Amino acid sequence: MSCRDGERCDEGRKRLRALLVLGVMLVAFIVLSAFSFLGSRGQVTPNQFKFANFPADDGKHVFQSYNCMGCHTMVGNGAYFGPDLTEEYRKAGPAWLAAFLPSAGGWPTEAALKVQLANAVIAADAGTASLDEYYAKFPGARERVTRRTGATLMPNLPLTHEEVEKLIAYLKYTSAIDTEGWPPKVESGSLEHRLELAHRPTQLPVMATAAAAPVAAPATATASETPADPAAHGQALATQFGCNACHSTGTQRLVGPGWGGLYGSQVKLADGSTVTADDAYLAESILHPDAKVVAGFPKGTMPNYSGQLTDADVTALVAYLRSLEKPQ
Amino acid sequence: MIQYQTQRLSLRFFMLMLVLFLVQVGFGLILGVQQADPTFLAGMLNFNVVRAEHLNLGLLWILAGFIGAIFFVGPLLSRRELVAPWLIKFLFWAFLVTVIWNVLTQGLAMRGIAGWWEGQPWLQEGLEYLEAGRAADIVILIGFAILAYVVLRSFPPVREWNEIHWGLGIGVVALTAIWVFGLFYIPRLDMQEYFRWFVVHYWVEGVWEVIHISLVGFLLVLLFKVDVKSVGYAVFWGVTLVWLSGLIGNAHHYFWIGTPSFWQFWGSLFSALEPLPLVFCFWHVYLDAHQNRRPLENAPAFYFILGSVVLEQVGAGILGFSMTFALTNVWSHGTWVTPGHAHLALFGTFGMLGLGAAYYAVPAVRGLKEFDQRLGRLGFWLVFAGILGIAFAFSIGGTVQIYAYRTLGLDWFGGDVFPLMSSWKLLVPLSGLVFLFGAGVIAFDLFTLGQRVPVSAAGRLPALRRATGWARPLSGFEVGIWLAGTWLFGGIVTLGLLSFNLPRVRVDGDPSLPYLLAWVGYTGLLLVTLLFVWRFLASMEGRVAEAEVAAQIPIASTTPA
Repeated sequence: MSCRDGERCDEGRKRLRALLVLGVMLVAFIVLSAFSFLGSRGQVTPNQFKFANFPADDGKHVFQSYNCMGCHTMVGNGAYFGPDLTEEYRKAGPAWLAAFLPSAGGWPTEAALKVQLANAVIAADAGTASLDEYYAKFPGARERVTRRTGATLMPNLPLTHEEVEKLIAYLKYTSAIDTEGWPPKVESGSLEHRLELAHRPTQLPVMATAAAAPVAAPATATASETPADPAAHGQALATQFGCNACHSTGTQRLVGPGWGGLYGSQVKLADGSTVTADDAYLAESILHPDAKVVAGFPKGTMPNYSGQLTDADVTALVAYLRSLEKPQ
Repeated sequence: MIQYQTQRLSLRFFMLMLVLFLVQVGFGLILGVQQADPTFLAGMLNFNVVRAEHLNLGLLWILAGFIGAIFFVGPLLSRRELVAPWLIKFLFWAFLVTVIWNVLTQGLAMRGIAGWWEGQPWLQEGLEYLEAGRAADIVILIGFAILAYVVLRSFPPVREWNEIHWGLGIGVVALTAIWVFGLFYIPRLDMQEYFRWFVVHYWVEGVWEVIHISLVGFLLVLLFKVDVKSVGYAVFWGVTLVWLSGLIGNAHHYFWIGTPSFWQFWGSLFSALEPLPLVFCFWHVYLDAHQNRRPLENAPAFYFILGSVVLEQVGAGILGFSMTFALTNVWSHGTWVTPGHAHLALFGTFGMLGLGAAYYAVPAVRGLKEFDQRLGRLGFWLVFAGILGIAFAFSIGGTVQIYAYRTLGLDWFGGDVFPLMSSWKLLVPLSGLVFLFGAGVIAFDLFTLGQRVPVSAAGRLPALRRATGWARPLSGFEVGIWLAGTWLFGGIVTLGLLSFNLPRVRVDGDPSLPYLLAWVGYTGLLLVTLLFVWRFLASMEGRVAEAEVAAQIPIASTTPA
């Protein structure tokens, strides 16, 4: 096909014809594109979605600010390091997201979901305050809770309370987008069957079923039980509510302050004053975290535990905190 | 060795390209390690930041290579010095400052800072490939405008343009124009993705490809003293086919982003034609390289140019083809299968061109008559093997990922998906290590070329090889067989992706057929690619021996004193 030396290789006329064909194709492309965004198509837009009074577009700003696409995909585009987020709201729902996002390094427990469902905004968005109904509506949340292990592969991000709410609004929008059948529907049977297929020769990686069972069981019975050692009871409660997703038992800052040596220490508050971390202060900080916010930590990150814990539970948790010494 | 003084200005861009190349590959290796061990540097340098650096520097060093190559060939095409050398020097410094600024601002994503002002993210944008913030975007736009201005003002009047002038002229203008579509924040996700692919696809498929074809064409003119007219013919048809297939071919990005399903038809149809110009371009390189039987004077330059067109064919053409149909793309989309294609296509096509151009330009600018070509050859084989290994790991690992993530619908990456992919996760950083070593060899070689003592004859080591057997001349028929081989295995890869639709896989959950086809397809494809490049280059090296026999130089006398 080459043009040998001495031949005439004038492409002038061909160039014109090629440009003409290209022009026709360009028109076709523009017409198709215009049709793609016609309002009559019924594709959802971000201004149709809100969570906690934040429009979905606010969440899109947060999504881009943290470069979420650098690890996750959205409508399949982005990085393949973490799962696709397009349908995350539809799968796991607002309560799970609200429990997970502030402390992404750890998986939310069932008790943590309950705490979130006690929040009127979340319950209204989920359409229920009951955990069972929530699970029925968002089966992904149940799967995530029952199969959870201690740590996730995601680092904690410094998301504020408002940013979490905005992100939920955005994920609500992306969940509603019609993506023409992608991702393909899973047709290979029940979760148990699919897990068996995936891990046939080796052990199922469901470390959580062992760990979660004793934790999940006392979830309903905490109030009536009065174990001999309050510190041990407090520790069980901390595990049950997943407190350690945010609070280390040493001095390391995960999301909130570390617990090691916290009891009895002097705590600097955001308003500039200093308080002693005594029983009353710790109990108040558990039940109403925003009453006294520690300096350097944003308000609103920790959920409100009043109504979730009895007085005995709080006393037990404080006893547990007292037992945690500052590591040498 | 150079005719025009302003050709010298290309050198600084090539050197910058090499530095950015090394840093980019370093970031890539961190990503590879993080894939294998996600806790590595987590919290200090999160994966998303490292990936943003890796992607951005990847684009930037390729651009630096383009700019260097354009400024090197520019005066030759213009038959005079480039206009406004001061502007070129300014462009260099602006480029450097923008790169450093962009590397630093990407880290802000860890703290959720994008620099929103007037509705635009000024510091970093958090969109794949377009991570640079608006501030950097605007400086980059000005940089492109400077490039276009210098090229167009230096070129002769339009009526004297040949096809290479047209290719480069259109290329630098379109480079600037298409960048504009990425300068706006768009609230709708579907529309944002629509315009994001406008920039990414049309840059790669519409602009870079055109610059690539033109530069490959002109470098062949320089390397083999081919007639410009015959290359012009190839450049014209290459560009025409690229645009006729690629314009609507962009639709393959519009399958699942919330745009209507009619794109699935248009995208599948036109983007399946996208490999055509690549086959054409490759075929032409073969013809030009074999039109006369001139021995290779600058082996590394040709090695990289051949690598560029072969990997363009295999990585962009064949692997792209395999996932371009709605029925295969529905599985490959959003999985590791796609970076297999992307690495081979982007580094292969554009990266190797930049390195090839550097290997041609650097000795010429430094005025070296002869240089030690062994390190260049070694570097080529290392990065070539490394990138094939990376593509292989991503492709097979991606096939496993499709099964676990899509067929079985298991979305717990840490517990379900990653353990199944673990050996492939390990192969990525291992191949990356080979690649990094090769990149280091190339960079060291080009940095110090001319400063080391030239080992004249030993530098042409394969001279002892005779032009028989593996090194015998390559016939067009044989090239056709090799090409058919790559497409055969490419077809198997495509069938492998297609087989995920079978009830046996989708409902019964039996992955043996897609796994088998992927194994045979990817292994065969990459092996044939490796062997073909080896064979092609051996036949080129064989000419050196032929020429020396013809000149009756006794082999003993070519050993260094």
